[in-house]
Amino acid sequence: MPTKIETRLGTIRIERRLTYSRLASAATTLTAFLLSLLVVAVILRVIGLDPARAFAVIGEVFLVPRLLSESVKQSIPICLSALGLAIAFKMNYWNIGAEGQIYMGMIAATGVVLLHAYYNLFHESMLLPLMTIASFILGGAWCLITGILKAKLNVNEILTTLMLNYVAILLVDYLVHGPWRDPKGYGFPLSIEFPDQAKLQFLFGSPACTGLLVAVVAAALVFCVLDYTRLGFEIKVVGQSLRVARYAGMNVSKIILLGSFLSGGLAGVGGLSIVSGIIGRLRPGASPGYGYTAIIVASLAGLNPWLVVAASIFFGGLLTAGGALQASMNIPRAATQMIQAIIFLFILVGEFLKRYRIVFERGGRT
Amino acid sequence: MEPLVKLRGIVKRFPGVVANDRVDFKLRRGEVHALLGENGAGKTTLMNILYGLYQPNEGEIYVKGRKVRLRSPRDAIDLGIGMVHQNFRLIEPHTVLENIILGLREPGIRIDFERHAERIRLLAEKYGWRIDPWMRVWQLSAGEKQQVELLKILYRGADILILDEPTSVLTPHETRMLFKALRRMAGEGKGVIFITHKLGEVMEISDRVTVMRRGRVVVTKSTKETSPEELAYYMVGRSATLDFGGVEFAPGEVVAEVIDLEALSDKGVPALRKVSLAVRSGEILGIAGVSGNGQVELAEVIVGLRKATGGKVIISGIDATNKSTREIIELGVAYIPPESVRWGIIPEMRVVDNLFLKAYRYPPYSSKLILNWGRMFEKAEELVKEYEIVTPSVHAKARSLSGGNLQRLVLARELSGLIGEGIPKLIVAAYPTKGLDVRATNFVHKTLLRYRRLGAGILFISEDLDEIMMLSDRIAVMFEGRITGLLERGKADKEKLGLLMSETAPS
Repeated sequence: MPTKIETRLGTIRIERRLTYSRLASAATTLTAFLLSLLVVAVILRVIGLDPARAFAVIGEVFLVPRLLSESVKQSIPICLSALGLAIAFKMNYWNIGAEGQIYMGMIAATGVVLLHAYYNLFHESMLLPLMTIASFILGGAWCLITGILKAKLNVNEILTTLMLNYVAILLVDYLVHGPWRDPKGYGFPLSIEFPDQAKLQFLFGSPACTGLLVAVVAAALVFCVLDYTRLGFEIKVVGQSLRVARYAGMNVSKIILLGSFLSGGLAGVGGLSIVSGIIGRLRPGASPGYGYTAIIVASLAGLNPWLVVAASIFFGGLLTAGGALQASMNIPRAATQMIQAIIFLFILVGEFLKRYRIVFERGGRT
Repeated sequence: MEPLVKLRGIVKRFPGVVANDRVDFKLRRGEVHALLGENGAGKTTLMNILYGLYQPNEGEIYVKGRKVRLRSPRDAIDLGIGMVHQNFRLIEPHTVLENIILGLREPGIRIDFERHAERIRLLAEKYGWRIDPWMRVWQLSAGEKQQVELLKILYRGADILILDEPTSVLTPHETRMLFKALRRMAGEGKGVIFITHKLGEVMEISDRVTVMRRGRVVVTKSTKETSPEELAYYMVGRSATLDFGGVEFAPGEVVAEVIDLEALSDKGVPALRKVSLAVRSGEILGIAGVSGNGQVELAEVIVGLRKATGGKVIISGIDATNKSTREIIELGVAYIPPESVRWGIIPEMRVVDNLFLKAYRYPPYSSKLILNWGRMFEKAEELVKEYEIVTPSVHAKARSLSGGNLQRLVLARELSGLIGEGIPKLIVAAYPTKGLDVRATNFVHKTLLRYRRLGAGILFISEDLDEIMMLSDRIAVMFEGRITGLLERGKADKEKLGLLMSETAPS
């Protein structure tokens, strides 16, 4: 990053901040958010829509129970994947493959359901536990592949995790077009619908409440792993300096393998939360990019597990608001995505300004 | 005569500290002026102000009688000021010629490389250097790189030269060559500012000396009218003597031994060629030599960070060749790595994390899975007191600590017996005092001597001959991956060591 830009009028320098209070931090985020709404308002006005009404619709998402519950539902896969990414990013492991790991988790969960439906191998009360374990293992294994390549052959994980996304997405396409297609589904590329016991709604019969419980438990687990276990300590040291980790006698390969497995596993359970919490079956394109949104969420939350939960719900709300805007105001889909992007961008700039300060010096070069 | 440089009342504040406090300084034509002080005394800050890297908060700068404002190094260079930094600013894959003419401002599109090369060659010869302008910089030794840095400045016609600790990377022979060249430059009427914390060099090369302490100038004197003792007193504000407590040299059994050890460097070329050594309990075995002759590789193979390609490492009678770092730690080996501030510390983690970087995985500080933070914090508080680590708290991030305090932290972690029982059996200390000020250096020396008394075997790598000769019971000299000599305490003098350090001894 250029830290100094010289111009005719003066010098612009970017300096790292040493301290920044919590209050100032909250104020910065709020200001960024309000500014982004201002820009959104201007744009809406330009394309001939009433900003006040649009904001009312967005506001409703967080106020009307039905929409709020929809937002929370949408936020669960984001949250679980982002928790996994928090582990990977702490390890300085650039897992861009949460999306693929989500898809593998969906395959595992659906596979368990099909084993039950077609072969009746186990009691239906075992469905959810087995689905959870299977989705964690398959999602984890998907990320572990990249971990092995990294640890043994030093292959860049950004490329491998990203490329495996496409493989996983196409694998789901193959399964629902082929062997896993619902025989009574009129040829549509869909799996059978999950039985109720395979749905994530054991708490008050509500997928949102159940999902939220799962997310909070997962956040607590990730928090404990990172702060109170040997593995968590090792993950942080590896993330800061491979060389110091080796000097300290840590088994760096093993740590990378375990860390990448945990990271992918959480995203895998995120996949489970889509098929059994949102859709109720497997279909192509089941995740509209939750795994990518999770990258933003994890960074925005500063890799803090509790903040990941909050940030996920906020993003789930934005996704829901997008749908609501399309439906009620006939705003084109592209415009709702643009609104979301503008809000992300402002908040990201706010995060940057919390870490760095921009200094202008008068007087140019002589 | 008008001084070349006059600094008056320079004040430079950084958040929380005053790095320069009303500093006055004058550089005359034709003199070598030593700027002496401990680390953190403000020498480098002052010179960075003169070189335009920092702007002072108060004070005036006069260059050749004219009051100036230096906004950037560009302004300083235009006024004939040049600086050789401690770590070279050269582009390694480029040739000497390209490095020197980079940034020259001359009209036209075409560069006449041949003409520049010829002029650079002549300039180098004037100072007794043999530099081929067409060589790539990475092919040069540290001493030659420094010559290129100087040529870069001289080629721009600088007559005010600032050298920041220029001898720290040089062999004794190269140091002598540098001093000769500096004398010659002074003889031409240039002014040389020589930043150092080594008293011997001040006496040898300088005409006048300015001593700084805690951001202020203590004294400026003619070198002839002072003595090393007096300068040391000015530097630290008290007479700095080391009490070695007259410990008899009574070595015990061999704690570590390497036999015909061979290993490769990071570049894949042989770095160790059949090295054999033995360290006994209760002795300090010094490894002397110019850095880059295999010392770090030797340390790394012993502690398990580098594979041996041949030979054996035996620790406490156990074959530890190519064992994992962790197994070797568990054999009771402590390691103070070179540049431990960079390679032994995680700045973004807390003091307590850094103290337990190795011991976190052993009881009572953790069970199989779970960390026992209560015990770690308790012990960390104790260690901070015992090792006099100055930190706001054990929760503070390591990056908020000064270099000397970070080295104390490393010593506390490595030596205080956090792992297993009692003290480490073998201590491998690679350049443990490099870059530290007098006080922190004393602390390291005292600590090593304490562990020698307690019966640890110590492998002590340093390139500071005074330090090596002061502490070591025996001194091994390394050159190009070989041990070129092994001298008993008292039988080593600088001449002998210098000779062994620069050429293979007749075998």
